[in-house]
Amino acid sequence: MKQSLLKLLAVLFAFALIAAACGDDDDDASEDTGSEETDEGESSDGDMAEGDVDFGGAEVTITGSERDDPSVAAINDALNEHFEPLGLTVTFAGDADWEANINTQVQGGNPPDISLFPQPGKLADFARAGDIVPLTDEVVAAIDEYWAPGLSSVVNVDGEQYGVPVKSDLKGIVFYKPARFEADGYEVPTTYDDFVALVDEMAAAGGSKPLCVGIESGTATGWMFTDWVEDMMLRLHGGDVYDQWISNEVKFDDPRVIEAMQAVKDLWTEENVFAAGGTISATNFGAPVAEALAADDCYMVRHSNFFAGLFPEGTVFADGSEDAIDVFYFPDINGDGPVLSAGNFATAFNDRPETMAVLEYMATADYAQSRQAKQSAELDGNLSGFLSAAKGQDPSVYQPLEQQFLDILSSADFVRFDGGDLMPADVGSGSFWSEGTALTNGDITAEEAGANIQATWPE
Amino acid sequence: MSSTSSLSPGIASDAPEAALGRTGRWYAFIRSIPTWIVWLIVIVWSIPSLGLFVNSWRTRDAQTSTGWWAVNVDELTFDNYDQIFSARNSIWDSLANSFAIALPATIIPIAFAAFAAYGFAWIDFKGRKGLFIATVSLLAIPLQVALIPLLQLYVGGAKWTLPLLDKTITLVPDFDLAGETTAVWLTHTGFAMPFAIFLLHNYISSLPKDLFEAARIDGADHFTIFWRLVLPLSVPVLAAFGIFQFLWTWNDYLIANTMVGSNPDAHPTTILIANLAGDFGRNEHILPAAAFVQAFIPLVAFFALQRFFVRGMLAGSVKG
Repeated sequence: MKQSLLKLLAVLFAFALIAAACGDDDDDASEDTGSEETDEGESSDGDMAEGDVDFGGAEVTITGSERDDPSVAAINDALNEHFEPLGLTVTFAGDADWEANINTQVQGGNPPDISLFPQPGKLADFARAGDIVPLTDEVVAAIDEYWAPGLSSVVNVDGEQYGVPVKSDLKGIVFYKPARFEADGYEVPTTYDDFVALVDEMAAAGGSKPLCVGIESGTATGWMFTDWVEDMMLRLHGGDVYDQWISNEVKFDDPRVIEAMQAVKDLWTEENVFAAGGTISATNFGAPVAEALAADDCYMVRHSNFFAGLFPEGTVFADGSEDAIDVFYFPDINGDGPVLSAGNFATAFNDRPETMAVLEYMATADYAQSRQAKQSAELDGNLSGFLSAAKGQDPSVYQPLEQQFLDILSSADFVRFDGGDLMPADVGSGSFWSEGTALTNGDITAEEAGANIQATWPE
Repeated sequence: MSSTSSLSPGIASDAPEAALGRTGRWYAFIRSIPTWIVWLIVIVWSIPSLGLFVNSWRTRDAQTSTGWWAVNVDELTFDNYDQIFSARNSIWDSLANSFAIALPATIIPIAFAAFAAYGFAWIDFKGRKGLFIATVSLLAIPLQVALIPLLQLYVGGAKWTLPLLDKTITLVPDFDLAGETTAVWLTHTGFAMPFAIFLLHNYISSLPKDLFEAARIDGADHFTIFWRLVLPLSVPVLAAFGIFQFLWTWNDYLIANTMVGSNPDAHPTTILIANLAGDFGRNEHILPAAAFVQAFIPLVAFFALQRFFVRGMLAGSVKG
């Protein structure tokens, strides 16, 4: 008894020591190399060419909600390739729970140096609370050089620029199979009326359904509905009303908003929509919809650029072959060609020179292109799902389909940011989703949904 | 598992069939009912794990198109396991981190709590009852409310300015532990202590008093009594607490996420798995495999320590 107890304890203690040693090893190692680099950096300072910066082994940590293996690897590689020669180590950590963690880290006094915000609304809250710092003039100059004002001004809070656009998403595009359209005698619609007529024609033909739609997304179920409504708001009422809607000058129970919600609801009828999960709100927005389109269960899917990355392996895009999938612009109503976008913005939690240097580089076309090249290499040349609207990138790092996305994004002079991300969280990632889901299910009318959402708008 | 095997004699009655008679057989049937119910519960509770295990071997297409019960041989693959072990953020590193958290967080509370429980149970000192009640009442403090203050403590230490003298003294130095696995097991250790002391105290205080008197007469001091008498006798309860604490720290996400969330080099498996699926569920198909690897280690720990439960608690102790 006693012996076996001692053995047990001995084994456990040995394990504990090994484990503790393992845990410490990394830290020691990194600290050691860190200090060595510092020494080298200091001693070689005199040899450095004029104008070259050396950060002497400093480290910059970045967090964000992007956590796909290839994305994380590509961001890390692209940044370190640039900064390693300058004596700076950059670590990007993808975080499934980013939305909650960034709050905890700020409150706990342990924020990262840089974080990538997907919602300008949240970024503005942080800016007003003084948790993030305004960007230096050099960084702002880089943003002005590489980014269209429409894409960067959403993170300008009270006259100060707080965010660097680092990733762009394009919404309001329709995926379809050109060869199938041709075989069945359909044409790509150029006006919204044509689009509705096409949907009716396809539904009447009784073959596969015109549209595939899914809005299920776990606790975020319903955001796909809000995307559609935003697209409709832009197309029906233009940019000014859209801006007023986001700041709640145009209320949710306004007839114009209800008109937009009703327009979406009218398209999502049983005759028009194929839902792999039985109903629209029980169908996941991603892979099931992509698989349904690939399997010819429907003709069209309105989605975002990242949707291209969700198709089954071996799907071909925009190469003219029989099963190839291509996109067209979700047609407008008033001929003003609005584009709905979304994206990530890098923000600084301190103004150390290395933090700002990383942000300055992240604003450039060089970074965007380097990340894109690395990301598609990670995926063996498949579509990366990454897109950046930075000006001056070499277009050859993008595949033909992605180039089309960029063309739409860069040629538009009427760009608006995803409204749900700009609204207060209670609405933008709360009631707008849940009431939209209820409307989709037919539990409430568009008028009721509008009134319910308006009631949750914070004073 | 052990509970079912101890119940199983209920089914197989070894009395001869003829001697039983009508009432005897009826009685045997009634007696076997709890066993059948336990088996039923075991089966129902095992189904999700079975589904997870089966799915972990199926291809992505198979997982997304049909349920695990529709499994057939052609769709089985090693790729999921291959992917989680060979990926750039391989599960090996995070397993090492999980061990670096779970082992100290299991052993340290047991060691401290065993001493404390012995002291509370068998050493007579002033204020013993009050101190014990104070310790145990800390059980009521929810861990979640303390997380952010703890993180602040790890990051910035604690300083206190004396009111009139205008002098600042450092109560806790700034260890800068955020992002280190140390911060995680330190937190686990602290929060495990009240329950560990409570559990071990209950057990240790119920050891027969004669034993301690006999040891005293033979000239043993407190340390000898603790080391040669109490510890060997408490193995079952130490093992029981060890298993619970190991399972809890191994499967913890919240504390690890708060303390080391921003440092990917210190992520335990729970955080790795949470991040594995990717932004839009691109890698959802490798989740079952990763979850199974994560669940496998506690199973090993459980079965390895199981015999300490079963062993008679006081077997042979008085005889020496």
